[in-house]
Amino acid sequence: MRWRGEWITAYAMIFPATALIAIFGLFPIGYAIYMSLYRWRIRQGGFVGLDNYETVLGDWGGAAAFFGGLLLILVAHHLWTRAFRAHAGWRRYGPLVGALTLASAGIAISLGWSRMVEAGEARFLGGLIRTTYYGFLSVPIQIVLALILASLLFQRLRGSETFRMLFFLPYVTPAVAGAAVYAALFSPRPERPINTLLGWFGIPPQDWLFETDPVLELLANGVLARIARLAGTEPIEVALSGFWAGPSLALVTIIVFGIWTYTGYNAVIFLAGLANIPRDLYEAAEIDGANGRQRFLHVTIPMLSPVTFYLTVLGFIGTFQAFTHLYVMRVPATRDAVDTASVVIFDTFYKRNDFSLAAAQSIVLFVIILILTLFNQRVLGGRGAR
Amino acid sequence: MPPARDAQVRLDVPPPAFRLAHLPVYVALTFGAVVSATPFAYMLSTSLMNLGETINRQLLPDVPQWGNYVEAWSNASFDLYMRNSIILSVVTILGVLFTSTLAGYAFARIRFPGRNVIFAILLSTLMIPGTVTFIPQFLLVRGDIVPWGNWLDTLPALTIPFFSTAFIIFLFRQFFAEIPDELWDAARLDGAGHLRFLVQVVVPMSRPVLTTGALLTFVNTWNEFLWPLLITYTPTWRPLGVGLYTFITEAGPETHLLMAGSVITIVPVLIIYFFTQKQFTEGIATSGLKG
Repeated sequence: MRWRGEWITAYAMIFPATALIAIFGLFPIGYAIYMSLYRWRIRQGGFVGLDNYETVLGDWGGAAAFFGGLLLILVAHHLWTRAFRAHAGWRRYGPLVGALTLASAGIAISLGWSRMVEAGEARFLGGLIRTTYYGFLSVPIQIVLALILASLLFQRLRGSETFRMLFFLPYVTPAVAGAAVYAALFSPRPERPINTLLGWFGIPPQDWLFETDPVLELLANGVLARIARLAGTEPIEVALSGFWAGPSLALVTIIVFGIWTYTGYNAVIFLAGLANIPRDLYEAAEIDGANGRQRFLHVTIPMLSPVTFYLTVLGFIGTFQAFTHLYVMRVPATRDAVDTASVVIFDTFYKRNDFSLAAAQSIVLFVIILILTLFNQRVLGGRGAR
Repeated sequence: MPPARDAQVRLDVPPPAFRLAHLPVYVALTFGAVVSATPFAYMLSTSLMNLGETINRQLLPDVPQWGNYVEAWSNASFDLYMRNSIILSVVTILGVLFTSTLAGYAFARIRFPGRNVIFAILLSTLMIPGTVTFIPQFLLVRGDIVPWGNWLDTLPALTIPFFSTAFIIFLFRQFFAEIPDELWDAARLDGAGHLRFLVQVVVPMSRPVLTTGALLTFVNTWNEFLWPLLITYTPTWRPLGVGLYTFITEAGPETHLLMAGSVITIVPVLIIYFFTQKQFTEGIATSGLKG
C-alpha cells in the first residue's frame, strides 16, 4: 500500500475506541499475570514466583496431568476424525487410536484432579467443578430449547411476534431483580408458588436455594421413600457424594434461572439463522423425497451449525464467568454448594483482599475457558466447515 | 451478505389464518410464554399485596396496595439510585456512540495498514471474561498503575471503562460497509473529507443501527452489577441494581416490598424494550449471525 493522507484520519478515528479497549480490556490480562507472581494484599508485596499458582492448584504433577488431559481430548478428536484419513489402509485405526487417547485423557484428568484437590485450594477447585456443572448443564439445554422455540416461531403463525417478544423478555431483565423474584418463587416455604406446584403432584416441599444435597440423591431418596410407603417398610436413605453425584439442588435452581434468561436470546439468533437458509435447499430435499424430519436433520441442522457454534462459544464464555445472579441468589449456608469459580474469585479479591491469589485464580479460569473455546472450535466449528 | 434484510422480507409476509394443525405449535409456544412471563406476573401481583396475602397462597391481592411502592421507594434511596442509573446510562451511551461510530467508520470505509490485524485483536477481546479483567481494572481506577489519581466511586470510573466495546464497533462496521460508494465519491467531489462525510451523510443514514447500539448499551449499563458493586462504597453514584442488592441484604425486606423494589428496577428497561423491541431483536440477531 502506498502512503496516503487518509491513513492519519483512520488512525485518529480508531484511536479512542482502540485505546480504551487496550487499557481496560487487553492490558488487564497481562497485568493480572504480573500480579499473580507477587504477594499482593491490597498493596504490592514481594515477588513470589509461581507460589500463588501452587496454592491454587496444589500439586504441579497433578495440574500437568489435568491440563495435559484436557489437551489430549483435542488430540483424540483429531485422531478420530482426521489423522488417518489420507491412508486408506490405516483409516479404520483412526477411531480406535482416538478412543484409546480419549480414555487415557480421562484417566489423566481424573488422576491429576484428585492429586490437585488433596493439596490445592478447596474453595476454588470446588468452584471449578460447580462452574463445570453450570456450563455443561445450562448451555446444551439452552441451545436445544432455543432451537425448538425458534423452529416453532419460524412457522409464521399469527401472534408469533408477541411470542418472540415474551421469550426475549428475561434477557433484558436486570439480573438482580430477576434473581430476587426467582428466590421468592423458589422459596423453601410450603406456601410459595413452586412448592405449591410440587404439592399438586404429591411431592413434598423442597428447600431449593437452601438445599446443599445433590439433586440425584434427593431424587433417589424421594423414589425410595415412595417405594417404602407402598411396600409398608422403613425407607432406605442413600447419600451420594463426589463429582458424579451432580450439582446441589441449590445450584440446579440457579441453573434453571440461567436457562430462563438466555433461552429466548438464543432463540432470536436461531430464528434469524433459520430465515437465512436458502429456500431452494428445502425444495431440493423435498424433490429427493426427504420427509420433514429428514429435512430438519440434513438441511436445517447443518445449515445452522455456524450459529450453533457461535451460541455455544458465547454460552460457555458466559456461563464460565456468570456472576450476578449467582451472587444474588446464594445464601451463607450454601456457599460450598453453589459458589462457582467466578464467585470465588470475587470473594478472594473483595472479602479476603488477596489480590494476587484472586489474579492467579482468574488466570487459571481464563486458561480453562481458552481450552474450552479451542475445543468448541475444533469440534463444532470443524463440522460447519466441512 | 445481508441476512437481516432477508429475514425482514420473510417476516413481512402476513401469517396464514389459524388451522387446527397449528394447535400443537400454539400449545408449545404458550407453554414457553407462560414459563417466560410467570416470574413477571408473580412479581407484579406480589408487589401489590399486603403482608398477610403474601403468605396465603393468594394469586392476586384483594385490594392493590400501591403504598408498597412508596414504602420501598422511601426505605431505600431508590430516587437517588434511579437518577444515578439514568445518568450512567446516558453518559455511557454517548461515549459508546462517539467511539464506536468513529472506529466503525474507519474499519468499514478506509483502507489502512494494520486494519485487519487491529480489528481481529479488538474482536478477540469479546472472548476475555470480565472475571479476569476486573482486578487490574480496579487498580487502574484506584490510580495504582497509572498516576492519574484515585477515581473509585466517581462517575468516570463507572462509565469510561465501558465507552468502547468490540461488539458495537462490529455492529456499526457491518452497517457502514454497506453504504454505497457513490455517495462517498459525490461527497469527495464536493470537497468533503471523511469526517464531514461521516457526520453529514453516514450518521443521518444510520439512525437504525445507532439506535440499536444505544439500546444494547442501555441494557448492559442498566444491568451491570459486578463493577459498580466493587467500586461504589457510598450511595453517591450507586446504580439501581446494586441499590436493590443492598436493599435485599441490608434491610432484609418483606417479600411484597422486595417485589416492589424489583418492579422499580425492571420497569424502565421494560418500557424501553416494549417500544423498541424490533430494533432490539433484529440488532442482536444480525450481529449474532455475522459473528
